[in-house]
Amino acid sequence: MPKKFTIPTYLAFGWLTLAGLMAIFGSFLPVDSYQTIHGDFLDAPPLTGGHLFGVDSNGYDIFSGIINGARLSLFVAIFTVGIGGFIGSFLGVTGAYFRGRYDSVVSTGFNVVLSVPNLVLALALVAVLATNVDVNEAVAPWRRLTTLMISLTIVIIPILGRIARAATLAWSGREFVTAARSMGMRDRHIIWRHIVPNVLPALIAVGFLAVGVVIIAEASLSLLGVGIPDGASWGGMIARGRNDLEYNPHALYFPIVALALTVICTNHVGDVMRGRLDRREARL
Amino acid sequence: MRANFYIQRLVQLIIVVFCVTFGCSLLLQAIPVSPAEILLPVGSPEEREALTKQIGLDRGPIGYYVKWLGEFVRGDFGDIYYSGGTEAVSSRLAVAFPRSLWLMIYTQIVALSVAIPLGIWSAYRVGRRADKIISNFLFTLSSVPGFAIALLLVLLIGVRLQWLPTLDYQPYSAGVWEHFKHMIMPVLSLSLGLIASYARLLRADMIATLREDYITMAASKGLTDRRILWRHAFRPSSLTLFTSAALNMGGLIGGAIVIETIFATYGVGFEIFAAISGRQYIALQSIVALISIFYVLFNVAIDIAAGYVDPRTRNRRINA
Repeated sequence: MPKKFTIPTYLAFGWLTLAGLMAIFGSFLPVDSYQTIHGDFLDAPPLTGGHLFGVDSNGYDIFSGIINGARLSLFVAIFTVGIGGFIGSFLGVTGAYFRGRYDSVVSTGFNVVLSVPNLVLALALVAVLATNVDVNEAVAPWRRLTTLMISLTIVIIPILGRIARAATLAWSGREFVTAARSMGMRDRHIIWRHIVPNVLPALIAVGFLAVGVVIIAEASLSLLGVGIPDGASWGGMIARGRNDLEYNPHALYFPIVALALTVICTNHVGDVMRGRLDRREARL
Repeated sequence: MRANFYIQRLVQLIIVVFCVTFGCSLLLQAIPVSPAEILLPVGSPEEREALTKQIGLDRGPIGYYVKWLGEFVRGDFGDIYYSGGTEAVSSRLAVAFPRSLWLMIYTQIVALSVAIPLGIWSAYRVGRRADKIISNFLFTLSSVPGFAIALLLVLLIGVRLQWLPTLDYQPYSAGVWEHFKHMIMPVLSLSLGLIASYARLLRADMIATLREDYITMAASKGLTDRRILWRHAFRPSSLTLFTSAALNMGGLIGGAIVIETIFATYGVGFEIFAAISGRQYIALQSIVALISIFYVLFNVAIDIAAGYVDPRTRNRRINA
């Protein structure tokens, strides 16, 4: 029997659920828009004038910012890990299953992408994809967001793809796969019925870790000024708060805490799931 | 068998290096506007055409790559274009590379010298309270991004306490203390996360080693716990740790972009950032290619070294 979850795991699930709810229902909550300027409360510390987390030096309410930032931070992370994980695991699973030249092309491709440090890769891709002729012309926000997500997806593909490939290699040598093959089952069905269900748990566990990687990467890109602009994500808020950390540090604390908590929770959940997998394997 | 292993690694290495550098050169072609237009925003059409010719962009993707590669292997990494003139990328890197190298070396030294005792101690006390506290603390620490630590350090030590300068880099020639004063905070922000992951790796391997028969044997001979831990258990358990530390070298030198930008250390990572924000795509291409080659070479060197030290690992990474 799987052991019951421990208290930290419940807390992690709790925070992730809360962040998810903020992301989904944030715009319906009775809080000010994150873009409303509270000119009377510039630099207000937390718990003044009805501003739970205070106001930053531009007059933006930090509590609204955190709630609103959850949407883009989580959306970018889940979307890129979802799409990147899908493409990566498709390549990895089919590569490991069919082997041969196709497999060497796939794994060389993974190695090539992995040989560029992931932040460098994301940064280079964002820079190239979002280039305008005129330096002074700002890149449209939606275009920045799309290029950001495409770049991060490319970063994620080999990370999850390699896991999928390694897991498939281990499983496709098992007796039940050989048995299915000798019975004349089609490759497509073998992959779908026998390989995927076994590889999926490992992928989901690593996927949680990848969500943390993407959240940090998105925030790093924002800090470097090529991420999501205008404080619309937690990373964007950190980038903006960094400018006057001397006089208004709480504008920095809250987004950092929100971001770090989320990453801690996704890492913890991923870790717990991976631990269970090992136990399941050990029992076999 | 052994020769085969090296040849296989070498072929893999060459393929990956070619693909990475070619991919970098394709990036330049993927820009939606002509690179000459970006590099010479105020130039006349003739000047731009001359530049296109000089860079080799008129020769198509393959021709451009061959020309770039020819110059790259001879140490000419292209130029950075200013409104007034040009500067060789190699001369910028000559300044930036030592800074990144020092940063990386200090980070590894700090990370390893804290992580090793922590990992050993928590493996020795596995399941006890000390282990639980250390493990949970390290887990939390490994999840906090480096830039968050950096910003909090700047705020606390740099701005509030004013103990250390928050910006700039000083070489050794400016005084040893000056040098270290500017390095402490960047090194701390980079190494805290590494401490956590190194200690976790070592702990896992140590726990496995401590269950071996020869450890029981050593204990029954009456050796002290300290001697057993350091002399008998640490060395066989440290292989994964040192492999992973060495693998981090390549990643660290390019991955410190955010930290180098926050602390204005102006190393290689910052050069990448500067190339991107200044839209110097040829410089970007050469630096990314350089970092990737460095990284791949390190990987192979580690694989071969690990194969020497522990023959069991020799085929591990080829298939996985």
